[in-house]
Amino acid sequence: MHTTYNVVITGKLAAGADKTAAINAFGALFKLSPEKSQSVFNKAPVAVKSNTDKTTAEKFYRAISKTGLECRVVDATAGDTPAVSQGQKDTPASSPAAPAATTDNDTPVTFKGFSYKIEGRPDYSFLTVEIPANETLKVEASAMATMDTHLVMKTKLKGGFGRFLTGESLFLNEFSAANGAAEIGIAPGTPGDLVHQHLDGQTLFLQNSAFVAATMDVNLDTKWQGMLKGFFSGESFFLIRASGKGDLWFNSYGAIIEIDVEDDYVVDTSNIVAFTEGLEYEITKVGGYKSLFLSGEGFVCRFKGKGKVWIQTRNAQAFTSWAHFFRPVKSKK
Amino acid sequence: MKSEIKGSQAFSYVEVELAPDEVIVTESDAMSSMDADIELKARLNGGLFKGLLRKYLGGESLFVNHFSNPTNTPKKMTIVQGTPGEICHRKLDDEVYYLQPGAFIACSPGITLGLEFAGLVSFISREGLFRLKMSGSGDLYFGAYGALLEREVDGEYIVDSSHLVAYEPGIKLKLQLAGGIFSSLFGGEGLVTRVEGKGKIIIQSRSITGLAGWLNPKF
Amino acid sequence: MKIELVNRPGNTAAKVTLAAGETCTAEAGAMIAMSGHMNITTTTHKKGAGGIFKAAKRMLSGESFFLNHFDPKDKEGELWLGSSLAGDMLALTLDNENLIVQSGSFLASEESVDMDMGWQGFKSLLSGESMFWLNLKGRGQVVLSSFGAIYPIEVDGDYIVDTGHIVAFNETLDFTITKAGSSWLQSFLGGEGLVCKFSGKGTVWCQSHNANSFGHALTPKLRKA
Repeated sequence: MHTTYNVVITGKLAAGADKTAAINAFGALFKLSPEKSQSVFNKAPVAVKSNTDKTTAEKFYRAISKTGLECRVVDATAGDTPAVSQGQKDTPASSPAAPAATTDNDTPVTFKGFSYKIEGRPDYSFLTVEIPANETLKVEASAMATMDTHLVMKTKLKGGFGRFLTGESLFLNEFSAANGAAEIGIAPGTPGDLVHQHLDGQTLFLQNSAFVAATMDVNLDTKWQGMLKGFFSGESFFLIRASGKGDLWFNSYGAIIEIDVEDDYVVDTSNIVAFTEGLEYEITKVGGYKSLFLSGEGFVCRFKGKGKVWIQTRNAQAFTSWAHFFRPVKSKK
Repeated sequence: MKSEIKGSQAFSYVEVELAPDEVIVTESDAMSSMDADIELKARLNGGLFKGLLRKYLGGESLFVNHFSNPTNTPKKMTIVQGTPGEICHRKLDDEVYYLQPGAFIACSPGITLGLEFAGLVSFISREGLFRLKMSGSGDLYFGAYGALLEREVDGEYIVDSSHLVAYEPGIKLKLQLAGGIFSSLFGGEGLVTRVEGKGKIIIQSRSITGLAGWLNPKF
Repeated sequence: MKIELVNRPGNTAAKVTLAAGETCTAEAGAMIAMSGHMNITTTTHKKGAGGIFKAAKRMLSGESFFLNHFDPKDKEGELWLGSSLAGDMLALTLDNENLIVQSGSFLASEESVDMDMGWQGFKSLLSGESMFWLNLKGRGQVVLSSFGAIYPIEVDGDYIVDTGHIVAFNETLDFTITKAGSSWLQSFLGGEGLVCKFSGKGTVWCQSHNANSFGHALTPKLRKA
């Protein structure tokens, strides 16, 4: 059924990419002026190649990914992104086959990444993933909201002793498309946004409840933050370390703001969602000791170096203390 | 009826402009602001007995409100649901539409709110024994916590029971386990609704149950 | 001081850009993130004025006892602010006018804005709001937060706002507690109960949702206390 694909630029940048450089590289790839490529980028999400076969789509994907623009391959029949209409002449839909892809013909072309869509952004983001035949997706427990009837679900114990202490469910579910490609809809319990990252050897650290789903070759383990840090920041003792190769989706409570750290940046510990490996981080107090106890800010995380931090616009503790007043009262024994 | 849904998916609210003599029927306590000239009448929905059924079995309130404009100039009001989330508008044209309990917000007077036994499926999945049957012609506003997403069903599809909001009459619901017994106990999915038939369904991208599942371990 | 609101109205954050020498005063606990060189001082009062007494009054109006003052020292810096619940924000510039603000809605302001506790009379008890309100006056920018989307209503005559939906209003308006429609019985049967009727000429900013209604919808699913 799924014979044609669209290659779509999402309007986002790959982790650590510089926007101007990425747009210029994208322009060079399709022989567009910087203004033209900027205007294409502004229209994102937009299909730069429509209704093509899988091999060509993959070539485009590889070539565009190298520019630093995030792009993805979607099923052309799914229709979640506006395909470029014929009238829009300034999009390179009919440009010559992806030129950069020819330079690495020696490496086998592999389909990089599952196709997916995110709806309801940014406050109630809902993830739909197309699991290719014979592939498996690991998903946070209780997060499945819809699925095709032929997906097979298995519940697995999550690895690592850390799981016991992170307040997370001890289990996760694996959904396998045993009898042909199948779709799954995923709704995290937390109201907020979703972020997709395609890992290709790099490592990300996630706040302990941020994991949503990943493909099988993404490794997840917990990282001991140290007693003192964890204790004073009022946050969990652990971060999830995601590494390996494949797709990873994580979520936030509230909207997500991406911060490109250049030298140093301070983030309230309860607003951290994820950050790239290589950033130095240290839990410190904000201001003097008076501010530490009276400011309501308590401990913060000071990031140093160069990298990306995803922060959330709300913090769970504030919501929890508000919701506490609405808890039903235990009936008399 | 002139209306506009504002506030995005996060906090949808409906801005309604009532023409002279026009009436809108709303769920109890749905009004958040209005012109002082607008008149309000609380009505038992479909008589006392039906109203009581609706309250205790359908998760809705005993009364519905009829807001009317007795003046001769258009008057504005805003209508909202109790939880944050998206509100959807659907125009009914002499047809039937089903809502899960709690999803009704407002409609024009040409639509009848009925209560129907939804079968044991609904009861076991703790979604209530009854479903709301909307029939007739006019404007219908319904909503739920989260964003509302439309899915086209042709054949079978599985929906977590707490995520189903509304569906067309061509759809039937069945209940099944998400996986094996082990998965159902520990995987957090438990019983799911198997949606069968042909038609469109509306799902909510978040659920109060899911939210509580995230909050409860934090207390 | 430059204020940019992002992701309205769902989970709005305010990005405040401060030039060297500028100071932003914010509700305790509102900081999400900031430039590494930002300086933070905590006081019970407006920088250089007021004192414990004012802070105590502020606490009565549902705000926190302490205020944080952010200044970027000698080079420009940025500051991200969020509120405790999901919802919208509103940035207004006061030009020597008085703004009456619902308890808990104050998020941040320029140093030049003065705040004091206001008293709206015993009707406040019935309004679904706190008994005490904040009076903001002076010149400068203020940021308010709400639960739900914020929409302004230009009142010229009478307008009804359900209890629990008021964010702020101009001092030129007055409100009374009354019924929705012409009958008390109908208003109560219809679940609307008491409402606030604004009269005069001015703007009232409403929040689309009521946090208490949401809280009560959560109750059946929450773990027993």
